[in-house]
Amino acid sequence: MAVLKNIAAIAKGMSITFKEMFQPTIVENYPDGPGPLRGAKFQERYRGAHVLQRDENGLEKCVACFLCAAACPSNCIYIEAAENTAEHRVSAAERYAKVYNIDYNRCIFCGYCVEACPTDAITHGHGFEIASFNASNLIYRKEQLLSAAPAHLGANEVFNSADVAGGAPALPVPGS
Amino acid sequence: MADAPKEISLTVDGKKVTSPPGTLLIEACKTVGIEVPSFCYYPNFSLQGACRMCLVKIEKMPKLQTACTTVISEAMTVTTNNEEVRQARKAMLEMLLGNHPLDCPVCDAGGECELQDMTFSYGAAESKFMEAKNHKDEQQWSPVVYFDRPRCILCYRCVRVCGEGMDVWALGVQNRGVVSVIAPNKEDHLECEECGMCIDICPVGALTSGAYRYKTRPWEMKHVGTICTHCGDGCKTTLGVRRAESGLQIVRGDNRDKSGINGDFLCIKGRYAFDFADNPERLKQPLVRKDGRLLPATWEEAFELIGKRFSEIRDKDGQSIGVVGSTRTTNEENYLLSKFARLVLKTNNIDHHRTADFPAFAAALAGKTDRTASMRDVFNAPAILLIGNNPTDQHPLLAWQIRNNVRLHRARLYAINCQPIKLRRQATNFMEIPSGAEGKVAAFLAGDDTAADALTSATASRDGWRQLREKLRTEQNLVIIFGSEIRGNDLPTLVKFGLAIPGAKFVCLGDYANSRGAADMGLYPDLLPGYHRVADAGKFHEEWGKIPSAPGIALPAMADAAKTGKLKGLYVVGANPVARLGFDPFAFSKSFVVVQDMFLTETASIADVVLPVANAYEKSGTFTNTCGDLQLLKKAGEVSDTKPDFEIIVRIADAMGFDVRKLVPFGTGTRADMGQSRGAQSGEADRHAVWLEAHGLEPKMSPFDPMAILDEIQRLVPGYDVSQINLLSGNDQHTNLMSQSAGSAAHDGSLIAPANDDLFTSGTLGRYSRALNSVIENRHLQPAETEVAAD
Repeated sequence: MAVLKNIAAIAKGMSITFKEMFQPTIVENYPDGPGPLRGAKFQERYRGAHVLQRDENGLEKCVACFLCAAACPSNCIYIEAAENTAEHRVSAAERYAKVYNIDYNRCIFCGYCVEACPTDAITHGHGFEIASFNASNLIYRKEQLLSAAPAHLGANEVFNSADVAGGAPALPVPGS
Repeated sequence: MADAPKEISLTVDGKKVTSPPGTLLIEACKTVGIEVPSFCYYPNFSLQGACRMCLVKIEKMPKLQTACTTVISEAMTVTTNNEEVRQARKAMLEMLLGNHPLDCPVCDAGGECELQDMTFSYGAAESKFMEAKNHKDEQQWSPVVYFDRPRCILCYRCVRVCGEGMDVWALGVQNRGVVSVIAPNKEDHLECEECGMCIDICPVGALTSGAYRYKTRPWEMKHVGTICTHCGDGCKTTLGVRRAESGLQIVRGDNRDKSGINGDFLCIKGRYAFDFADNPERLKQPLVRKDGRLLPATWEEAFELIGKRFSEIRDKDGQSIGVVGSTRTTNEENYLLSKFARLVLKTNNIDHHRTADFPAFAAALAGKTDRTASMRDVFNAPAILLIGNNPTDQHPLLAWQIRNNVRLHRARLYAINCQPIKLRRQATNFMEIPSGAEGKVAAFLAGDDTAADALTSATASRDGWRQLREKLRTEQNLVIIFGSEIRGNDLPTLVKFGLAIPGAKFVCLGDYANSRGAADMGLYPDLLPGYHRVADAGKFHEEWGKIPSAPGIALPAMADAAKTGKLKGLYVVGANPVARLGFDPFAFSKSFVVVQDMFLTETASIADVVLPVANAYEKSGTFTNTCGDLQLLKKAGEVSDTKPDFEIIVRIADAMGFDVRKLVPFGTGTRADMGQSRGAQSGEADRHAVWLEAHGLEPKMSPFDPMAILDEIQRLVPGYDVSQINLLSGNDQHTNLMSQSAGSAAHDGSLIAPANDDLFTSGTLGRYSRALNSVIENRHLQPAETEVAAD
């Protein structure tokens, strides 16, 4: 009887093994998964590397009020403000952040800066691959933090113009 | 009425308050710690009753009353915090915020805005106003003053400080009622003294500073209260400091700390002209001349070269090095330089840019005590006699003190000047005299009637002069202020006249931040610190060691001596004699010249070695203002690779093989005792260093600490034995000018070269300030100003 009991126990155990074998895998396949995230999945609320947002006109939302730096418990945000001019307009208000650095050596991803921001300029993105062999690489400058300019602005402005309303511009033929 | 009670008692929120008659209710409340909020009320200015924030309930009065305009009366019962009052405050704030933009994140005042504070303390969370706000673009009124009209809450503080306080009247109110607006005196811009007081006094961000605009936020800065480095008045200026790439950058100057002798006042230089510190032309590396060109070198190289050459010249030729001191370095540095010249260089050839005859002043007052007025005395004196100088331009704080003394205390001002100075508007008597006749005034006042001949003019008759003299003789506690026009033999004459008046005190006006200190610390070829003559140095021989006893050569003669080859070395510490005193730059072509300066000035460009120094905002020490008020400097800014003059002098002495312990008695004395005597092992010294550092003081266990020499100064310089604890805690301490050698030979008055600075210039230093230059340029673009009537 003891033999039968043992066989039954093994069969029961193996049945789970064989059942799971044909189920979809629940382990994240990072970094070998598909897509730009390489298999990583996030909760919406995940607090990753910061993103400095732009408004609908492509101007930076940050007005350099320093409230994020004031709220920061680890003192990792450094800002230098400058004045917007008619010729050089960066943000919609009177001034903008000429320099905006976040020191990821110090940042604890607490999200206080995001809460403090009166213009919703700074948000947490999902960036998490921040590790570096060189600590000085961990001081991110504004250029690294800014979200990309909207597709219809800047260098992509050509897609906005009326003469290409019909579709994408024809590729210039070399030599023509 | 004779029995009327001296003090009036009333009840505020159940508390008993007693105050003298005539006190305003808002002030009486303050005495018992009850805050009544207000915007338009500002002590010492006329009452406005405009903002209606200070409404309080007074029993038996049907409506709420404004506490800022109500004078207290006997048995008044006041409630400052019931539902009715709270509701009124809430409503007032709601009105003020009706058109006030909510742009606090970009407003320069955000974080130190009175409206913000009041809204937090007393305001409602929401507004009933739904209308769109009326926007107006920001206006630039001058290079340093911006006006954002929607932010203005019409408290009229700026109008009053400009008119009543400064007597400039550049700001006014246009229109009436809801369309009232603050406007400048000249179409769209200001024509004024650019003092920036309107910006400081503005409770909101309506008036903002062009120099500080959008640079940072108030909480991002460390605030350091130090002494202004420009004119001789010694205003306390609060510098906002931020960490920058090359050290600590000063981003703002204002007087948020109103504890200084200047109270509410600060002029354009104290407020904006700190920016020479980060001028791109600032030297950040020692320069050594090689093959006729000044090339960058290391500090060690420079010190070694200076030590070698100075030792050679001293040992070979003796008495052949000249030393030029500065009027903008600290007392400690001046004292050390004086000691260094006599002890290490073994010469009395030391001088500085003299701007007033302090030695004659000290000699005239020999043996007298309490005869010099402090800057605070000028504000409280019942009568003032002003001879020469134009304080509005050259001593803005002094002018402010006189003006407000006349306005608030009804002091009598007697002004005697060769030009129609602006202070004549405040004067009880103004006498215009021919240029250069100030000496005759001294003679006439002292009793020489024949001198009046040279003084009579259309406005000042012979009888007028006699009446003036009679009136002055009947005054008590008169403060006599005189400029550098009174010098040489005229000075004792004037002092003699003044000493006959009971309680009379004197102020001798010198031009630069530490001109008085340079004189007191003995930067003279014939005088040691405290105006001791080199011939009978007495205790200096005991304290210092052997020093030469023959007087050295004075400044102009140094150039001649260099030409004839008698002067083989020149050591210039923070001075520019080539540009300011007409030194022939080619006279020194064969001499070894060392210059310590911030910039490559005319003098530095002829040097063999140029050493980059820290300025007065970047070191600690003490300054003595022209009245003799001793004040503490605190280190605010920092530029890496520069050194304070104190350290440089010690390093040069060290490079010359001198035992620096004989120069700086460090490790002894009251202040230097902290830490060391308690043992390094216990960590006590470290903790003290941390504490000192955190409090903006410098750890002092080194020969480079200027405070190590303060004890010696206090011991050896008469009048400087003031309370050290008061001094170090940032209070002004009046030094009593005392000279041991009464009636010493009069100094050569021709050696005095007044700076002749106006409001917007400041010697060589002013040239490197962007703010001052921008104001000067702006003035040149505009038509010449005509004086505004004081109505």
